[in-house]
Amino acid sequence: LLELMENGSGCLNGSGAADSAEKAQQQQQCPAVQLSERNREAVRVIGQYLRELGLARSAEALVLEAGCPLESGAAAQFRSSVLLGDWDGAEASLASLRRALWRESSWSEIAFRLAEQRYLELLESGAHIAALCVLRGKLTPLQLSPDRLHRLSGLIMCSGPEELRQLSGWSGAAGGTRQALLDSVEQFFPPSVMLPPKRLSVLLDQAVRAQVSRCRHHNTSLSPDQLTLLADHSCQAAASVPSVCSQVLDAHQDEVHVCQFSPNGRFLATGGRDCVAIVWLVEAAANPPGAPRVRHHLTLRIGEERGGVAWLAWSPDSRLLLACAAEEATEVIVWEAETGDCIKKLKHRDEDSLTTAAWLPDSNHFVVGGNRGHFYLCSVDVGFEKAWDFIRVVALATRREDDGGTAVLAADTFARIRRYRFDTMQDETLFREDGPVMSMSISQDETLLAVCVASAGVHLWDLRLRVCRRRLHGLTHGAYLLHASIGGPNQDFVASGSHDARVCVWHRGCQAGDGAQQHLLPDKLSGHGGLVSCVSWNPRHHGMLASASDDCTVRIWLPASLAAAAQAASADGTGPGGAGFSSNGCCSSTVSKHQPPPLL
Amino acid sequence: KSPEFNASYSMGRLHIEHMGGERVFSCANCDCPLTNRQQLISTRFTGATGRAFLFNRVVNLDTSELQDRVMLTGRHMVRDVSCRKCKTKLGWVYEFATEESQQYKEGKIILERALINESEGFPDPVKD
Repeated sequence: LLELMENGSGCLNGSGAADSAEKAQQQQQCPAVQLSERNREAVRVIGQYLRELGLARSAEALVLEAGCPLESGAAAQFRSSVLLGDWDGAEASLASLRRALWRESSWSEIAFRLAEQRYLELLESGAHIAALCVLRGKLTPLQLSPDRLHRLSGLIMCSGPEELRQLSGWSGAAGGTRQALLDSVEQFFPPSVMLPPKRLSVLLDQAVRAQVSRCRHHNTSLSPDQLTLLADHSCQAAASVPSVCSQVLDAHQDEVHVCQFSPNGRFLATGGRDCVAIVWLVEAAANPPGAPRVRHHLTLRIGEERGGVAWLAWSPDSRLLLACAAEEATEVIVWEAETGDCIKKLKHRDEDSLTTAAWLPDSNHFVVGGNRGHFYLCSVDVGFEKAWDFIRVVALATRREDDGGTAVLAADTFARIRRYRFDTMQDETLFREDGPVMSMSISQDETLLAVCVASAGVHLWDLRLRVCRRRLHGLTHGAYLLHASIGGPNQDFVASGSHDARVCVWHRGCQAGDGAQQHLLPDKLSGHGGLVSCVSWNPRHHGMLASASDDCTVRIWLPASLAAAAQAASADGTGPGGAGFSSNGCCSSTVSKHQPPPLL
Repeated sequence: KSPEFNASYSMGRLHIEHMGGERVFSCANCDCPLTNRQQLISTRFTGATGRAFLFNRVVNLDTSELQDRVMLTGRHMVRDVSCRKCKTKLGWVYEFATEESQQYKEGKIILERALINESEGFPDPVKD
């Protein structure tokens, strides 16, 4: 290989033997800098990059000064021959490169591709006789795949270059196919002879992707090639992760057990032991834009003997709110959220216990269930429709399937998460958890399922791959039900309640720098005075999080930058009961703020 | 505004497990599910209120601190168990038996027959 390198030292684009002597002289005149092996590789890669950008003179100057050719002379000769269309020259160079191949057998493949390009170009320019000669004299003797040979010989029937290009999928001599041929041939040679195509771009891309995977609060929709190279990428926590409590809502008279934002992000529903479901409006302040505030809208009552509101579910069109009761949960109530009108009170049997529910995409049908073994499909129009017997339901979610139908996902008391189709009456076990399931929550794009497992944490299951993607630890366990929520523009954030009165927020995409399996510890938000049982992300205003607690309040959390803006904007501290902002809701998160380096 | 201490315990908040089974045992006071017939090991035990059953696994129980008790069968270290929902004392769990012949009881739970209900459950329809 060394020999191949020396054959054309300093020879960049095959300028021939005549120039190489001159160049060698020039080289001797420039004192060569002593370069280590790594440095030489770097120079080669940079030279390739410059050349690809079209800065050929800079590349040449670089090679001269470093005394380090980009590739072996024969390879350079091959490259320039192909680009110029000098096929015989290319063949000759190829012959001299033959020894350098990874595998001897690939030589015929390369020769075939070379001859194929030549053949197609000849056909394109109308030289059918010459093309036929190539077919017979060059392509056939190689004795490679007869299919390809057949296809190529068939192309001779094409009436013109247009048809040729169309039929073969080849973009023509001017269509960059020569460069494409070179790129495809590079893989057969070791890097010391020919550099892999676009090597520096590939390396830079890898570096940026590695930074993205380490980004603890990655929350941007920019693709890796849009991120700056000048500083290590790191999303600012202040912009994306909730850390400041911007509002304390204390309209409830007793423990709050559920909070849910509507799918359109305009409403927040909360409910708890005081047997009341409150609907709040989310208003995005006009000035400055993007600082959302929550305002009381309606108070809806369920019967006092019902033990409180156990679950609230919004219809997908955000119009209807369904409430399940905690005890004596024989009846579920559906209201219209805007007006507060009670649309439906659904009761099937006196011994029913319906403590959890989920809506189907048509915003008319919904499923309800409980751990006494009642599992029903109902609708607002008709009422009770179908029952699935003998399943003790703990949590419900729905998901659209490829055939247009909707699958109901139900977690049961045997720690199984199963998929039920009420239209075809088919069922299937998807996952088995290794501990009792407390609750379940599906992401907005229906790809991820967050399962709260007692004494274990939050497990994230991928619904397409059907595997557990993450086990999130760090929340405090106890005897009470906790709920989790998946949010963020790319379903990147998971939040859950905790028994230590704090809200846990994880970024699920962050990986440890060394790739090791590290327990992902959450950021913890302090402020509540009691157990936090439920959390909900706002699907429209990313970064806005609501949490419901035993201290009878609901807190709204915003990222620091938004919260500061919200505080500045509102002077009159509104909130039901005049609570307004709570300044003691500062975060105790372990997030360190990353600042980009200043421009020099 | 802090709520007054509320002694009632809501089902919507406590995490209540359910073991299923065709014959379900639950708390006689509040109907909280506890265990089932498949977990029953022996009916020939005696508690404070009379007959008591020995079960392999029971859910939804709170345990007391460890107690040293001398019983008919010998000296044992036990914890009292009560219903997690209504806090009624239901029996005890054996943690340690001093006599070798009694060691089979370790980890198992005694529930007093008078304090639990037996009711009809249903078999698990899932076959896999």
